[in-house]
Amino acid sequence: MPQPIDPLTLAHFQMTAAILFVMGVIGFLTRRNLIIMFLCTEMMFQGIALSLLAFSRFHLNHTGQTFVIFLLSIAAAEAALALALVVLLFRRKRTLDAQAWTQLSG
Amino acid sequence: MIQSSGNTALPMQYALYIASAFGALALFMMMPRQGYNPRKIGALIGAMTLGALWLCLAEYLPDTLGIERAAFAYYYIFSFLAIACATRVITHTQPVHAALWFVMMVIASVGIFLILDAEFIAFATLIIYGGAILVTYLFVIMLASETSDAQAPQHTPIYDRIAYEPVAAVAAGFFLLAVLLTAIFTPLPSNPDAHSPSDSQIIASTLTNRAARRLAQQAEFDEIANLPTALADNRSLDNTEHVGLDLFRSHPLGLELTGVILLVSLVGAVVIAKLRVEPDTAEPAPA
Repeated sequence: MPQPIDPLTLAHFQMTAAILFVMGVIGFLTRRNLIIMFLCTEMMFQGIALSLLAFSRFHLNHTGQTFVIFLLSIAAAEAALALALVVLLFRRKRTLDAQAWTQLSG
Repeated sequence: MIQSSGNTALPMQYALYIASAFGALALFMMMPRQGYNPRKIGALIGAMTLGALWLCLAEYLPDTLGIERAAFAYYYIFSFLAIACATRVITHTQPVHAALWFVMMVIASVGIFLILDAEFIAFATLIIYGGAILVTYLFVIMLASETSDAQAPQHTPIYDRIAYEPVAAVAAGFFLLAVLLTAIFTPLPSNPDAHSPSDSQIIASTLTNRAARRLAQQAEFDEIANLPTALADNRSLDNTEHVGLDLFRSHPLGLELTGVILLVSLVGAVVIAKLRVEPDTAEPAPA
């Protein structure tokens, strides 16, 4: 049976999760390539998954791992839809530049 | 055990803020831009910042981690790899390379999952992210590439070569990171409720059918009547069994809804892919 982990050990894993999440946020804000922007959302998902797993280990409760399964399936659904949309947008304007669609903002 | 007196926590907080500031500087220098690009200096500053942060954090490691020290040493390696690869994902100018660095980031974080005793999730993530999703991304990158020769940097589109508002994004991101780190490293009481029922207890209480079945199989060879606990005591559940029990016993509705979501997204993707669109000829695409 595993030992419960120390709060400071938990904080280490949370820190890595937070850094991955923030990297995803920064990438989403700075990149203008639609595909890379969605790749950055996957990176945020990865940070969240790490956070959930660390808390699962901290509480010795497997629900956190179950939630990561849900998160993986949502990520797969999101990737399928988002990439289909990206291909559609690309066929329309022949560019992946997110700024080509600024007219959507009115 | 962490002291809540603040004696040990305070210098660590300052170290975290300083590391956040240096990390922001390093990431800003690594952002793609035109003209002089101090990418190597930024990478050096970033690596030194992470290394210094690791040394500073290792100094305050508690005596009882809850994880074996040898395993926790791998945390530093995998975490460094994951953060470095994540940086490369958002600073690389070519989408294919960014996707490959993302695979590397997934592999490194899977290593951290293994340290956290989540074997099933680790390999599921590796297969789904590193395999399925990334192959989809690579296909889309190939389908939607504007230039035939992606190797030549001058053919990379302009929107891949210049970061959009790097100062504001990096400042906002690392401010968010500093706030998150403040919350994360606020001393938390250790968790007295963290106890899991022993595996034999779970088997005896929830998997009685299985024990009975095994008992029936064994009954041919064994005359002893009261076997279940004896059988259960010899057996432990592995991680996959634990996760499966939690998933199917505690979250059946979530499981059904996930299936519906996957079906809806499948139908949606097919519908979107079958749409016929004409290229926008009235307005030329900005190069």
